[in-house]
Amino acid sequence: MRPPATAPHLDRRSFLKASVSAAGALLISIPLPPRSSLAARTAGASPSWCVYLTLHPDNSAELMSPVMEMGQFMRTTGPMILADEMDLDWALVTVTRDEPVRMIRNDKGEVGYEYGQSAAGGSQTVRNNWDYMRRAGATVRRMLMEEAAARWQVSADTLTTRDSFVIDPNRDRRLSYGELAGKAASRQVQPEQVKLKQRADYRIMGKDAGVVDVRDIVMGRPLFAIDEDYPSALQAVIERAPALNAEIAGYNKDAVLAIPGVRHIIELPRKVEDHWPGGDAQVLAAGIAVLADSMWAAMQGRKALQAQWKNAATDDSNQQIQEFHRLVAGNGVADKLVDDGDVDAAFATADLVLDHTYEKPLFAHACMEPHNCIADVRRDGATIIVGHQVPHTVAREVELIAGLDALKVKVISKRMGGGFGRRGELDFIREAVTLSHRIKAPVKVTWTREDEIQRDFFDAAAVMRVRAAVKDKRITAWQHRQAQTRGRPEASDYFPAKVVSNYRVEQFPSTSNILVGPWRAPTMLQWAFATESMLDELAHATGQDPLAFRLQWLQPYQEYSINNWAAKSIHSGRMAKCYEAAARLADWNRPRPKGTGLGIAGHFTFGTYAACVLEVSVSDTDELKILRAWGAIDCGFAINPNHIRSQMEGGFVDGLNAALFNDVRVSEGRVVNDNFNTLRWMRLREAPMSIEVEIIDSGYDPTGVGEPPLAPAGAALANAIFAACGKRVRRMPIADTFKI
Amino acid sequence: MPIEFTLNRQPVAAPDDKADMPLLWFLREDLRLKGTKFGCGIGQCGACTVLANASTVRSCVMRLADAKGLSIVTIEGLARDEQHLHPVQQAWIETDVAQCGYCQGGQILSAVALLERTPNPSDADIDAAMSNICRCGSYVRIRKAVKAAALRSKTTQL
Repeated sequence: MRPPATAPHLDRRSFLKASVSAAGALLISIPLPPRSSLAARTAGASPSWCVYLTLHPDNSAELMSPVMEMGQFMRTTGPMILADEMDLDWALVTVTRDEPVRMIRNDKGEVGYEYGQSAAGGSQTVRNNWDYMRRAGATVRRMLMEEAAARWQVSADTLTTRDSFVIDPNRDRRLSYGELAGKAASRQVQPEQVKLKQRADYRIMGKDAGVVDVRDIVMGRPLFAIDEDYPSALQAVIERAPALNAEIAGYNKDAVLAIPGVRHIIELPRKVEDHWPGGDAQVLAAGIAVLADSMWAAMQGRKALQAQWKNAATDDSNQQIQEFHRLVAGNGVADKLVDDGDVDAAFATADLVLDHTYEKPLFAHACMEPHNCIADVRRDGATIIVGHQVPHTVAREVELIAGLDALKVKVISKRMGGGFGRRGELDFIREAVTLSHRIKAPVKVTWTREDEIQRDFFDAAAVMRVRAAVKDKRITAWQHRQAQTRGRPEASDYFPAKVVSNYRVEQFPSTSNILVGPWRAPTMLQWAFATESMLDELAHATGQDPLAFRLQWLQPYQEYSINNWAAKSIHSGRMAKCYEAAARLADWNRPRPKGTGLGIAGHFTFGTYAACVLEVSVSDTDELKILRAWGAIDCGFAINPNHIRSQMEGGFVDGLNAALFNDVRVSEGRVVNDNFNTLRWMRLREAPMSIEVEIIDSGYDPTGVGEPPLAPAGAALANAIFAACGKRVRRMPIADTFKI
Repeated sequence: MPIEFTLNRQPVAAPDDKADMPLLWFLREDLRLKGTKFGCGIGQCGACTVLANASTVRSCVMRLADAKGLSIVTIEGLARDEQHLHPVQQAWIETDVAQCGYCQGGQILSAVALLERTPNPSDADIDAAMSNICRCGSYVRIRKAVKAAALRSKTTQL
């Protein structure tokens, strides 16, 4: 499992700390009261939040995001929350580019974040920072009001704020935040004086905002860790064991050292340790690192290594999937993950039982920016420059490898060229830190695309046999019996749980050397593919409209308690509204031409509800064309509608790519298809022409949007194909069956 | 003999012992121009796209020797200066295309080359020309932005 959340000790007396920088700017740190329940699986949770906020005399404001950017838009969303509660003029706000990670050690000796929840994962970052960011903004706003009140000799309660000014409405006068900032730093504010805005008063949140870094991006500025040059750093590329578990047998050292620019060859042993999901796993492959003056020289050196390997594992992903089929089809006893009601009795009295098996391959991450890390490990401290989703674990890794105090590690968090869960792993960090520690000089490790796919921690392959019982046209029992590479389905307490009272989930344990890790909404796509395909099959088998069938299925509309790490309740009515809205956008009841069809699917992911409708055409020769899509999402209050739509578009495309193409195959312990020539990836021409999105305002607090749009895509595609041509596809990658 | 070519409107001379080095690594390592991205190394994903005589080239598979005599433009050289962004860059900002942003320099240059050839592209033209991978799946906005840039180019003098 992931390391437990740490809870650093807090000095409650120091409610507010502020200081004035040499340049006269106000830097404010506000530890805030702890939030009661933080997700234990998300590492690094901490009960305080620091506002790295600089107010300049010209009234401009520099903010720092609580969480680094990986395309999930937190560098825009986080500052929006803070700026709105502060009543900043958004046009005067800039967001600082890099983020140093402030860490602390609690009294148990665990390292965590000093001021907040900086880890990105599980679509939890908005939820984890929502209260903190608002309270922080409201506190600073009150400090500025107190300072203005003192200058004007009035009560702060008579003042208002707007667009980076404190305003005295009674005397028609105002002072800019920039003018007040220096002195405001010494103002004391008590918790009871801090008042959060009502939603109706938001001026920044709830409106469309663009990416704060958009200009840097379109100008091609160096934003990513891979773009960083570090003084006198050697460039390292690593030839890793091509097959799982293999160890070094030999290599041609002299040939490599003869290449101009090559400085060192260093062996890195493989490492096995507890890893999520599934326990012990090879977390670091054996490797031979070539360190050189330039990346190009290092790459030439790697080619000359001619490495040989021994003791490789021989896992075969296809054989494993066939074994999963045998398991779910047979009578063997599996682990019961959920067993509600009386499933067997309900099946015995059913009018109709459907029994179908669905298959999903291993999914690769393929983060667009190959992994890389700069490490400068010295005797008295270290600097690590990296894009990482859980940055405090980076510092802890330096402590473990080099014996340095983690608090003496300066982790500079960079924008990530995609994360998708893969940038929460530590392998590329370990390599850079080990090498720098060994040669006592700075090192930059860069992976190639082949390295990245060969050494990925995939989303598990799975085979899922779903049996569903129908009586009087309603579902009376549901059994989901499955096996997957490692780990377990994370959605087994989501729908159809609760709405089907006789409900069972069974899993056959699996032991595989193939590596599995967090992948954008881990196991959610497989779950929605099986569940939402079966719902469609049931609707058609009973002569019902797939939309109407789902809406009736979810009744009565109500909230159910669940015990999931990311959600404590699930609401069938919120799910139903997403189906309805997506169908309305798609003009669901309008007949489509022959060969064209609509498919609908929805899913609840870590607190957020999303549904989509996809339109496809299928020719007589099984040529598939993806036409258009419509989606609806309920993620509570919509902080930035523009970026929620953007996540819906991108997440749905990612889900379609996964369902159509994302299919890593392992044979003789090695990945067979390790670059985009053999692992196909969706291009613009295969994506929907348009994706129209409705955001449903349910009045709830905001929840995440990074993962939820993805899961329904696979089933929506399978259901649309069925509607278009009458053929049911139950196996991904769907591009194996239909030509696209 | 040094390998001479034009880069972002400036003359460049590369030592001929680097003839076999891909243009990508010469740009990123020797010239420290980091806007051209390493994505796959085999000319598939297009993160390393540059313009060579106004056509797109995957710089990870172009030998430096083959750049000889060409006019190369990277994402850093597309705008004349901070105040004068290319219409495609402006369209990318207006449409708010980027998510992680890593592929977008390559996407923008692919769109620039398309619009040079086909100022008023159809959806089929866009499908054919825009072959770069966006891992975040921003394709719907890329299509919108290409169309917005086409409109802009009609009304704006470059």
